[in-house]
Amino acid sequence: MSFLTIMSQLGSGFLTTLLIFCLTLVFSLPLGLLVCFGRMSKFTPLRLVVKFLISILRGTPLMLQLLVVYFGPYYVARLPLSGSWRFWAVVIGFSVNYAAYFAEIYRAGIEGIPAGQHEAARVLGYTRRQTFLKIVFPQMVKRVMPPVTNEVITLVKDTSLAYAVSYIEMFTIAKQIAAAQTTIMPLFAAGIFYYVFNFVVAWGMERIEKALAYYQ
Amino acid sequence: MKRMKTIVSLVLALTLVFCLAACGSKKADEPAAEGGDKKTFTVGFDAEFPPYGYKDDSGEYVGFDLDLAQAVCDYYGWELVKQPINWDSKDMELNSGTIDCIWNGFTMTGRESEYTWTDPYIDNSQVIVVRADAGITDFAGLAGKVVDVQADSSALAALTDEESPENLALAASFKQLQQVGDYNTAFLDLESQAVDAIAMDVGVANYEIASRGDGYVILEQELSTEQYAVGFKLGNTELRDQVQKALYDLIADGTVGKILDKWADQVSADSFCMGK
Repeated sequence: MSFLTIMSQLGSGFLTTLLIFCLTLVFSLPLGLLVCFGRMSKFTPLRLVVKFLISILRGTPLMLQLLVVYFGPYYVARLPLSGSWRFWAVVIGFSVNYAAYFAEIYRAGIEGIPAGQHEAARVLGYTRRQTFLKIVFPQMVKRVMPPVTNEVITLVKDTSLAYAVSYIEMFTIAKQIAAAQTTIMPLFAAGIFYYVFNFVVAWGMERIEKALAYYQ
Repeated sequence: MKRMKTIVSLVLALTLVFCLAACGSKKADEPAAEGGDKKTFTVGFDAEFPPYGYKDDSGEYVGFDLDLAQAVCDYYGWELVKQPINWDSKDMELNSGTIDCIWNGFTMTGRESEYTWTDPYIDNSQVIVVRADAGITDFAGLAGKVVDVQADSSALAALTDEESPENLALAASFKQLQQVGDYNTAFLDLESQAVDAIAMDVGVANYEIASRGDGYVILEQELSTEQYAVGFKLGNTELRDQVQKALYDLIADGTVGKILDKWADQVSADSFCMGK
């Protein structure tokens, strides 16, 4: 099998990887903000519950969480699993896990805004909502870009964990080709895909970061 | 500020295009699992297990066992769904109903009470592969050597079988019994002389040696013999009986013979034991 055929087969697998990646970001970035509000809530029970959930999500392997999301409905509620559930379980598992990490990153960004700014906003007559939307949030977005980039790059590589629930993404395909062709070359070819894609992601995030640095 | 908006919207648009493209192509090459009036028959298999189930040069899932499954589906007019599974979670897949059976060089020996089985169709054995130039000719030559074995494999089960004192003694004579994840790693170990032998399935050993060329030999002595069968969820005798009936009929009408001819290089016709 030629290198080109390997690349083209990996390319089709890459689309499934990309699909998990995009959907996870679409769901987890906003969800992370919600979780972050819960984590910073003044209502203690809510704050404690969210804190506990975050500790579970960060403290257990993502692979295990995927297995729980996928097989959970059957083992807990005896619901029959459909063919497309495999895909949605992966998306839900990834989104919830990454939302927990994003929430903590957002919290760091929000708590990093000096108290003086809140006081100044109050003096100027801003409501709490206005203070958050017009003053805190735009600054937070700028500050969290580097750690968010870290997470996004990790997500690209983590997509290979979807194999735990037999979702066939690029790295699984690479392993299958490797087994059939009795060579480990396809694994390196997959490495090239990950690297190039992450290079593009890092470049894109850097551009966004620069575009947001409008006061510097 | 305006520039930022442009860039952000550009990134969002690109993401959307990517997602749509991915969705579109996904639908195109995935067989419709639901809908239609045809009954589907979902076979779970490990796609890293040639020649029984693997990915061929054109990217299709093929294999001796998948051809048999296809023949059974043709017999009943079912639609075959080939579902590659993570071998570690095969029981969860089967119990939750996401696959109808495991059909992929699946060893029945030792697991008789865990699944509902068809009659066995392949006689298989566990063997030892060594480098041709290593000068090892029998099990005695393995004393003090490092041996690779795939984790959770039948070869490992054979070497740690409490009821086989010879195998236990053999395993004890090794310097180390090293568990590895897949056969590429094992052969890389063997080739680089990190290990001296690999304990594995004879069918897979033949495939690997045929593909990797000379330089490896299979020792004549066998670790154990076992049989392959199709495994269904415990208690699912209805589907088992249907598949089994089809298999016997397909043996009688020569279809299985044709499949054996097609795979003659990898699966020896002698090892096919069903209906003999």
